[in-house]
Amino acid sequence: MNTPFTHPRFLLSALCLTLAACSSVPERNSALERAHGRYNAALNNAEITSQAVPEMQAAAQALVNADQALKTGASDVEVDHLAYLAQQRITMAQDTAASRSAEAVTAGAAAERDRLRLSQRTSEADEAQAKLRQSQAENARQGSALAAAEVDAQRKQMRADQRDAHMQDLEVQLIELHAKKTDRGMVVTVSDTLFDTGKAALGVEGTRNMGKLADFFKRNPGRHATVEGYTDNVGGAAANERLSGRRRRCRCSPRPWRVGRGCA
Amino acid sequence: MAPRPILNVRSARSPWAVLACALGLGLALSACATAPVPTTQMAVAEASVQKANSTSTRQYAGVELQRAVDKLAQAQHALVNKDYDGARRFAEQADVDAQVADLHAHAVRALKAAQDSRDASKVLSDEIQRSAPR
Repeated sequence: MNTPFTHPRFLLSALCLTLAACSSVPERNSALERAHGRYNAALNNAEITSQAVPEMQAAAQALVNADQALKTGASDVEVDHLAYLAQQRITMAQDTAASRSAEAVTAGAAAERDRLRLSQRTSEADEAQAKLRQSQAENARQGSALAAAEVDAQRKQMRADQRDAHMQDLEVQLIELHAKKTDRGMVVTVSDTLFDTGKAALGVEGTRNMGKLADFFKRNPGRHATVEGYTDNVGGAAANERLSGRRRRCRCSPRPWRVGRGCA
Repeated sequence: MAPRPILNVRSARSPWAVLACALGLGLALSACATAPVPTTQMAVAEASVQKANSTSTRQYAGVELQRAVDKLAQAQHALVNKDYDGARRFAEQADVDAQVADLHAHAVRALKAAQDSRDASKVLSDEIQRSAPR
């Protein structure tokens, strides 16, 4: 930008003033001086010199016209008139520059809003995508948890079924053995007379029934049983005690129903 | 009898008439030189004022527009009174005044638009800031 003292217009007006000073009557016009002052102020305004170039040129031309009129001894009215025109040209330059700057601000603000909206949309989209991913992950997790739960439930059900089947099987077996449910558990009476009087060997029917029991315990190794046996009232108490001992040993002796877990 | 020059006869007959003719011609010429009828300036001023006289200019630069309208009226008045110099000056001023009114209204509108635009940006920015930490 030109400084007010090096600008050609200033130099020209300075020359005019010098020439005017040289003449015998110094010519001055306050309106024209005000116009020059405003013009120089406008020259110092970067906004005006950059945004209103043709308007400033027109103002400079108007000033030259007014200076010329003053120099050639035009009437005060005419010089005032030309100074007024120059001042109005400077006003036009100022308004034009103000308009251009305001328009630039408007455009800039619009661009800023566009940028804000875009970044807002972008962040919304990112957020939505993140939410989607999260919910998908959540769904997948829930899905797998559900599947796991289902598998677990199925496994439990299967175990329960197996247990039920097992229990049913057990019950069927026990029913076959004429088992009775009592406080002490299932009681199976093998036979009223397992042993013949005074004998320690199982009878035919006793052997068969004990075989069934032995099968049951073989199939259900987790089951425990207490075997109780009583002698009849034939013979003395001491003889019957001995007989019971022999019968217990007999039960533990190698027989088809022996389970192989030893006798208690 | 020797013929006498005609001019001598005429000047001898009416020396004041010649002087009056010359003076009248000079006055007429000087009147023509100082005050031609400012037809062009009047037309330009009327066009400028008409162009500037819009609703928007009336709203945003009423004072400036009124000044232009008044100057045009003064120019027309001076024209009627055969003050052609005055008419030319008023017409020329009415022209620039009308242009100033137009440009000033435009500048006011532009500044208003810039302010509105800035406000809108601020509102949008605040809105986004408010809704951001959801």
